[in-house]
Amino acid sequence: MAGPYEIFVLIKQVPDQGSKAGLNPDGTIDRAKAKRMLNPFDRYALQAALHVKRTYGGRVTAISMGPPPAVEILLEALEHGVDRGFLLSDRRLAASDTLATAYALYKTVTHVGKFDLIFCGLQTTDGDTAQVGPQLAERLSLPQVTYCEDFHLDDGRLHARRIIEGGVQFVDCVAPALITVANSYHPLAYKSFRGAWRVQQLQRNPEELGKYIRTVDLDIIQADPERCGLKGSPTIVAATEKVGELGGNCSMYEGHAPDEMVGELIEKSNLKEFLVA
Amino acid sequence: MSESVNLAPPSDGEVLVIAEQILGELQPVSLELLGAGRYLADKLGGKLSTVILGDNLGDIPKKLIEYGADTVYVADDPELRTYRTLSYRRVVCDLLETFKLPPHIVLLGSTTTGRDLAPRIAANFETGLTADCTELDIGPYEHKSKVDPSKVGLYEGCLYAIRPSFGESLKARILGPWKNPQMATTRPGQMTPLAPDANRVGKIVNIPVKLQKEDLRLVVAETVREVSKGVRLAEADVIVSGGYGLGSKEGFELMHELAKCFENSAVGASRKVVDLGWIPYEHQVGQTGKTVRPKIYIACGISGAIQHRVGMSKSGTIIAINKDPDAPIFKFAHHGIVGDVYQIVPELIRQFKDKLATKGEKTVVHTH
Ligand SMILES: Cc1cc2nc3c(=O)[nH]c(=O)nc-3n(C[C@H](O)[C@H](O)[C@H](O)COP(=O)(O)OP(=O)(O)OC[C@H]3O[C@@H](n4cnc5c(N)ncnc54)[C@H](O)[C@@H]3O)c2cc1C
Ligand SMILES: Cc1cc2nc3c(=O)[nH]c(=O)nc-3n(C[C@H](O)[C@H](O)[C@H](O)COP(=O)(O)OP(=O)(O)OC[C@H]3O[C@@H](n4cnc5c(N)ncnc54)[C@H](O)[C@@H]3O)c2cc1C
Repeated sequence: MAGPYEIFVLIKQVPDQGSKAGLNPDGTIDRAKAKRMLNPFDRYALQAALHVKRTYGGRVTAISMGPPPAVEILLEALEHGVDRGFLLSDRRLAASDTLATAYALYKTVTHVGKFDLIFCGLQTTDGDTAQVGPQLAERLSLPQVTYCEDFHLDDGRLHARRIIEGGVQFVDCVAPALITVANSYHPLAYKSFRGAWRVQQLQRNPEELGKYIRTVDLDIIQADPERCGLKGSPTIVAATEKVGELGGNCSMYEGHAPDEMVGELIEKSNLKEFLVA
Repeated sequence: MSESVNLAPPSDGEVLVIAEQILGELQPVSLELLGAGRYLADKLGGKLSTVILGDNLGDIPKKLIEYGADTVYVADDPELRTYRTLSYRRVVCDLLETFKLPPHIVLLGSTTTGRDLAPRIAANFETGLTADCTELDIGPYEHKSKVDPSKVGLYEGCLYAIRPSFGESLKARILGPWKNPQMATTRPGQMTPLAPDANRVGKIVNIPVKLQKEDLRLVVAETVREVSKGVRLAEADVIVSGGYGLGSKEGFELMHELAKCFENSAVGASRKVVDLGWIPYEHQVGQTGKTVRPKIYIACGISGAIQHRVGMSKSGTIIAINKDPDAPIFKFAHHGIVGDVYQIVPELIRQFKDKLATKGEKTVVHTH
């Protein structure tokens, strides 16, 4: 089986931690107020999915689970050249841990249909577990390549380079497979003017947009609500505690001539204790 | 006052550590896990077991006993020489199936292997898994949320899995007391191994390896790994590390020149520049490189990504040189110069040389 490939890419909307708005006093995130963005790690997954389509041919479907505003990242994916998007949105999914999330995504993936490759991000910037990809692969009984830095396809066979401790590993397997893409993969290319324009047009015409982005719930994908949300989650976040910013008191030397800054650094630090005699 | 009943599932308190080797070399995180596992098992009144998979494991099982294991399950088979998700998953899941009661706790390292394997095992057994923990403990938990009335009540002997989150600004305590095994991965360098005891007794149990065709779907064509030879990062008092901000391979000449200004120094690097081939792997500091703890760490043109930070954050003094005032490294460095490495580092070297020269003069004055 050579190209074209049926490619799925899983993307998640996360709070924008760069913006201080939407942080509760205890440091947790007020999801209602926080700015939202596409999980930065999923940009590499998107790039990988689009690369397959552009190089070998095929169709890219973006899939996300989240509250209704998550449709924003599916629109963003369309702008980048993704062909269609599915949003799984259902109140019964609230407080899903990774096991419940992977189950719900598994039901969504099988609802959407057949695929050759599933790309995931390495991890998210909020839950930050890197567990959902492998858990989904387990549900789908797929081989997986995690920490993938680069890959190519050869007649349906995936050849990939992945990160390991102290080095890299070259692996290969036949599609279907699930790949989690490392942030040392190629960054997401800028969206084309045409892509952005097309999505702008679509947004003016909800009926037309509905052909490209579909929102589904647990009933549509025939998922068991008992296995979703808080009920389906074996873990809970029992408590959080704010820890001081790491170090947090860096003496900065800034805005002066190099010789002055360096002089000051040598003066104030313990560097001189270690100079060769 | 009514006595609360313990709703925790039945358990004999056993803790299982999934140990890890790469090309026959036992990974340090496995010994750290045994240290943590011993503490947890003792608190639960259970035994500590560990499983190791590989080919020609030699005296690794014995070493695992010396470091605290009561039982070592050994899967020694040519097919297990290199880690592969599906074959390792099969052997570990088969082993867990043989337990009358599931282990209370199962632990793995948050390495690229542990983070690849743990979620597959957890999903197979539909149990909870906490990622990348920095602390583990045992304690009671009272569940009050009424969302699922069947869960309300007291649970004894829960695994407290504590992990940093939201860019390390929060510590979250994750619990999953309803089902065993309670699983967690722990960050390398966080737990403390026990002192090895050659007289410790333990049991070594060979376990069957029954792989199926579908477990061999992925082929490892090649593993490229450079284990440190000449570079003595671990022992150095001063490490001068270079990152992508150096702009080219030649930048490392400057790093070596700066390092030469110090006694007992070494040159380190970020993974990004190692990947680019600017410097060999053995210089890499971080999650997939070395964990170092020098008295002074000088980071030149390194952004301070979490994977780099975990390998050097315990250094005595961290000095960062970066042209971006918002670089994450300034959040945890002790001294930060905002500037171009090619202006700052030569100036540092020049001023050090001046200092040494004046030192020399003074000595001369004295002897006269
Ligand atoms: C502070 C904190 C700590 C937590 N710790 C744990 C824990 O230790 N164990 C646990 O089981 N749960 C934990 N959770 C819950 C977990 O964050 C959620 O289950 C979340 O839905 C998915 O996990 P993640 O964000 O870690 O995803 P990751 O596993 O890091 O995501 C990897 C990839 O999977 C895909 N993906 C993940 N979520 C979605 C989605 N909603 N839609 C589409 N694709 C997706 C993306 O491609 C993503 O890049 C924690 C939550 C918080 C807030
Ligand atoms: C599974 C996994 C494991 C990993 N393991 C490791 C690991 O062990 N070690 C590791 O280091 N990384 C590791 N990484 C990679 C890590 O995420 C970062 O990508 C990497 O650390 C970035 O390297 P860097 O800081 O050199 O480059 P960048 O992030 O690109 O930073 C370069 C910095 O240089 C500054 N700069 C640019 N020009 C100049 C100049 N002229 N003067 C001064 N400053 C300048 C920039 O402002 C920037 O801050 C791992 C990643 C993954 C996914």
